[in-house]
Amino acid sequence: MSIDWITVIAQIANFLVLVWLLKRFLYRPILDGIDAREAEIARGMAAAGEAQQKAQAAETDYRNRQAQLLSEQDAIVEEALRASEKERDTLLAEARARLEQEQKDWLAHLQRERDKFTGQLQRAAEETLLELTRKALRDLADATLEETIVRHVSARLQAIASELSHAAGDSTGAVASTREPLSEAAQQRVQAHVEQLLPGIALRFETDAQQAPGLVLRVGGAQVSWTIDSYIDEFDAMLNERLAAGTSGRMQAPGG
Amino acid sequence: MQLTPDEIVVFSVGGLNVNVTIVNTWIVMALLVIVSMLVTRNLRADVPPDRWRTALEVIVKAIQSQIEEITPNSARHVLYFAGTLFLFIALSNLLLIIPGFAPPTASLSTTAALALSVLVAVPLFGIARGGLGGYLKTYIEPSLVMLPFNIIGEFSRGISLAIRLYGNVMSGAVIAAILLSVAPFFFPVVMSMLGLLTGMIQAYIFAILATVYISSATAQQDASASAAPKRSTVLSQEPSALSRRAPGLPQQPPPQTEDEP
Repeated sequence: MSIDWITVIAQIANFLVLVWLLKRFLYRPILDGIDAREAEIARGMAAAGEAQQKAQAAETDYRNRQAQLLSEQDAIVEEALRASEKERDTLLAEARARLEQEQKDWLAHLQRERDKFTGQLQRAAEETLLELTRKALRDLADATLEETIVRHVSARLQAIASELSHAAGDSTGAVASTREPLSEAAQQRVQAHVEQLLPGIALRFETDAQQAPGLVLRVGGAQVSWTIDSYIDEFDAMLNERLAAGTSGRMQAPGG
Repeated sequence: MQLTPDEIVVFSVGGLNVNVTIVNTWIVMALLVIVSMLVTRNLRADVPPDRWRTALEVIVKAIQSQIEEITPNSARHVLYFAGTLFLFIALSNLLLIIPGFAPPTASLSTTAALALSVLVAVPLFGIARGGLGGYLKTYIEPSLVMLPFNIIGEFSRGISLAIRLYGNVMSGAVIAAILLSVAPFFFPVVMSMLGLLTGMIQAYIFAILATVYISSATAQQDASASAAPKRSTVLSQEPSALSRRAPGLPQQPPPQTEDEP
């Protein structure tokens, strides 16, 4: 075991050369490559961080806009609800008013139809009543209706003759009014009764198409009459009573 | 039996004998350099490293991390020095498995050369770190009485390094040779495998001890610098200055530290 100093010096030189060669071909390229790659990774991470920040900012912006849109949507929906409620109230009010108006019109129409029907019924009833009365008188009493009316009015005239003469006052005329012209015999009979009960009163006969069938005798401010109106009025009252009962029955029927 | 390959002369040039130790050293150097050149040519940062480059990166980063564990904030030139020590010794010892190859580290001349390199490198790193005055001051610390002991300790470090590496590698080779003559079929294989293990361990120990010595030399400078604020300001600029200036070993102390007491 000995040390060869020439070998030692050569080995020192070899070692120094090896240090330089490895620094040149191993350490520096490897470490520089690692540093470059780490720098590249750092740049990539920085870019990724920046992209992440941008993404977060975009996300925040998106969320804000979404919240704003939701808020606007809520406002629009609320406004639409308010508008629809208002429109609904308006439509309901219009429909209610139109319904009330139609109901009023219908009721008016119904009333007109009822009045028309009642009028027609009255006229028919008048005609029918006159015909039936005339037929009944002819069949049962062998008398005409006009004679009977004249006799009835003469009887009532006799009962209130004093009151009539008092009511006549200064008047010297009386009027016997009928819808149809009286027969000659009937006129003479009325004339005779008036001259007998109200002497000094001139009787005059006239017709009135608007007057109900019958006889009206006016003396001054008083009158004695028999017309079919009272019967028709009674007929109307009975008819209205029955119609009212029928209407209330129909109204109560659906509800039990 | 030959205890050192220095005695085998391969050829002579101008009266100088080139022995097996030197030739095998060249072989080891050529292997290291050629592999490094082949792997590190055409390196690009944007190209992913292949398996060879990854292997070298793992080795270099492992060496660097080991050095940084011992000497934090160390400059790259410590890596160049200690890493080359490790790679050279490790590859030399690995080549022990090749029949007929005498590892250069089995020569006391080689280990002495490496120990001398460490012996010289330690004060150079210390001087580069803290200046000549700061380094020499470490020899008289904690007191002037310690000067001879510090000098003896410095030299005994190198001698122990050289003898340790030589003894281990040479003993492995010698034991393998002895066992080869006694039991030629089985034990030499086992001893060669053991020699591989001890060779790697010795490479590691040699490089680590060299790093520790360098670290102790520079750490004393840092400890002294931490006591003086003005000096710490100056020293904080040194690593970059060293990395720019020194390609391998630092050649001269930085001029900033020459004014230090």
